[in-house]
Amino acid sequence: MSNAAAHPVGPGAPPPAADPPRAVRGWVGQALNSVAKRFGARIGMAFIGMIAFSAVFAPFLASSHPLLLKMDRQWTSPAMKHLTPTDVTLLVGFVALLAVAPLRNVKFSHKLAQILGVLAFTIPVALVMAKPPRAVVYDQYRQAANDGRVQFVLNAPIPYSPTDRLRDQFDADRPHPWAPSTAHLMGTERNGADILSRMIHATRIALAVGFIAEGIALVIGVTIGGLMGYFAGAVDLLGMRLVEVFSAIPRIYLLLTFVAFFGRNLYLIMVIIGLTSWVGYTLYTRAEFLRLRKQDFVQAAIACGLPLRSILMRHMLPNGMAPILVNVSFGVASAILAESTLSFLGLGLVDEPSWGEMLNQALSAGGGFYWWLATFPGLAIFLTVFSYNMIGEAMRDAIDPQLQRASAL
Amino acid sequence: MTDEHPLLKIEDLAVSFPATDGSDRRVHAVSGVSLSVYPRQTLAVVGESGCGKSVTALSTLKLIPTPPGRHEHGHIWWSGDSDGGQPTDLLSLSEKQIRRVRGNQIAMIFQEPMTSLNPVYTIGEQILEPILLHQKAPRGQAVQTAIDALTEVGIADPEARLREYPHRLSGGMRQRVMIAMALACQPKLLLADEPTTALDVTIQAQILELLRKLQHERGMSILLITHDLGVVAENADVVAVMYAGRVVEYGSVRDVFSKPLHPYTKGLLASMPVLGDKRTRLATIPGQVPNPTNYPTGCPFHPRCSDRKDDPQCAAEHPALLEVREKHWAACWHAPGYDQAKATTPDLAYRMALQT
Repeated sequence: MSNAAAHPVGPGAPPPAADPPRAVRGWVGQALNSVAKRFGARIGMAFIGMIAFSAVFAPFLASSHPLLLKMDRQWTSPAMKHLTPTDVTLLVGFVALLAVAPLRNVKFSHKLAQILGVLAFTIPVALVMAKPPRAVVYDQYRQAANDGRVQFVLNAPIPYSPTDRLRDQFDADRPHPWAPSTAHLMGTERNGADILSRMIHATRIALAVGFIAEGIALVIGVTIGGLMGYFAGAVDLLGMRLVEVFSAIPRIYLLLTFVAFFGRNLYLIMVIIGLTSWVGYTLYTRAEFLRLRKQDFVQAAIACGLPLRSILMRHMLPNGMAPILVNVSFGVASAILAESTLSFLGLGLVDEPSWGEMLNQALSAGGGFYWWLATFPGLAIFLTVFSYNMIGEAMRDAIDPQLQRASAL
Repeated sequence: MTDEHPLLKIEDLAVSFPATDGSDRRVHAVSGVSLSVYPRQTLAVVGESGCGKSVTALSTLKLIPTPPGRHEHGHIWWSGDSDGGQPTDLLSLSEKQIRRVRGNQIAMIFQEPMTSLNPVYTIGEQILEPILLHQKAPRGQAVQTAIDALTEVGIADPEARLREYPHRLSGGMRQRVMIAMALACQPKLLLADEPTTALDVTIQAQILELLRKLQHERGMSILLITHDLGVVAENADVVAVMYAGRVVEYGSVRDVFSKPLHPYTKGLLASMPVLGDKRTRLATIPGQVPNPTNYPTGCPFHPRCSDRKDDPQCAAEHPALLEVREKHWAACWHAPGYDQAKATTPDLAYRMALQT
């Protein structure tokens, strides 16, 4: 739009004034702003940001593959060569986020669409291009260094991959697990894997389970709840029965059953967590839509002849989104706990490190209590869930100023 | 002017809702309302709260949720679709067809400007959406249409206003924005459901002045719903007085105000404050509006009627709306000349001489 100040229109137009430096914030913007001012929410967001950073840069933070290597007078980058399609997608997505986020005067939905567009292009390319070697020998680099074939090496900050069992450093007098030391900051597991490295790589599962499972739950819950609230009557009645059926399903037992029948599959676990946790969103959305559909601006939108899709998605959903968003942050926390529970019970993933699976290791280590096996993954789960809850509480206070602040932070 | 066709013709409309007491009975919010709006005419529908004014207007755009509501009988003939074409019955249109009429041919402005704008979108986004939908114009042109509409309703610096959120505007400005939204698609009929009730008196006068001016410029018809007789006297051409879901008096504003036939109209007019009158108390109509679940038998007004309260005919039989005088309809057994009245549908193309 052109500069408004250039054309004062109508009688009594104010004298040309400079445009305000910042676009006027909408209601959602104001709420998010007040969330960002809360100390607890800031700590929570900082921690989640750190987790997200670790998840994206895991192959460069903790890897047995050197970032840069000059071996036999040849420069190579084994870390780059061993990138998986997942790594590439995450990295490209992060770069896209960095590129788009600082743009002003671009709507949030447009930014999101741009990032999703970049990812949609990246994923097939990454699947074709990124082909890490199948068989990996982690100790080849240490072996080569011992043999004096390496002229220059730049290692990752934690030079151990999560599945590097340190076979070359086997020592019968000093069996794993090793206590924390300068070489292994959080010690090692019984099979010799570095715990810090596993912790860093496990952030991916924690984030993925939280976001994908809750994303599924959110889409189902908001759709069903929105239709129930808007149409009310018979639709509402049927929807409520569906809600009752699903709220009666015990999530953990269902997960155990599915894992027993279909094997250990992370995506299956995410889908099941999603399919069993939409009930809460449905109830919130339904309540909001029942309230909103009687509001004048919704009536006005209908009287303008707008189609149902626009009324539901554009006019009602953003106004009813606030309590649902609060619930998302609590839901993400509970999804992470569900996955950890499953892994702790030994029914999670086999190869990929996850915090719950590491707790299980601590339990089955045998031969004594190795505090580092349980403390670090336990602390990580606790802090992540705590962070999401802090953000959720700040959001709840931001959208409902009449409510007493839930906590001092 | 004799062979003129009404733009909107409501015929014998009846709308019912289920009773809230849990029984199977249905409450008739509107029963047998007939009225017509001619091009460039302002028809005022007057009455107390709950008499069926808003339901009549909402039915015109099929905005009554069905179920629980139900259109028992009647037609709403609309001739604004295409010139010279046959009138269409709005009640028989499908949801998809009525959507083309809503906002495009018939627009509506609501009572509460403070809540009628969506708080999460800027003014511009809200004005643009119906324009883009109905006029299929490119975005740049739609923005220009929106700016023109805002300028027309007297909003200073419209381009800056487009980027602002509703909470930054005052009530009067919001109502102007609502009117601009309604007018942006050049509707032929504007349904104004108590457009000034929530505003203070000076703003009320400005908004009504604005509506009059826009009607004059655009040749638009207005169906004005109000309970403020002062507003009616100044703005309407034709008045329909409603009571308990029926039209009880219908005529030109001059006839109704100078020679009211129905005791309810007389009571309403008597209860208006008169400037300079030294009386301490205003006249009132005794009693209360009857509960729609339990309308009295016969004439619904007879328990409150001050004229002939004890007439057994009033309590027994419902009087039909008849043309008691030339172009002046009333539904009262005791209206002078009611026994020789003609049974015609209320239909009046009268317009006040324009005074600007």
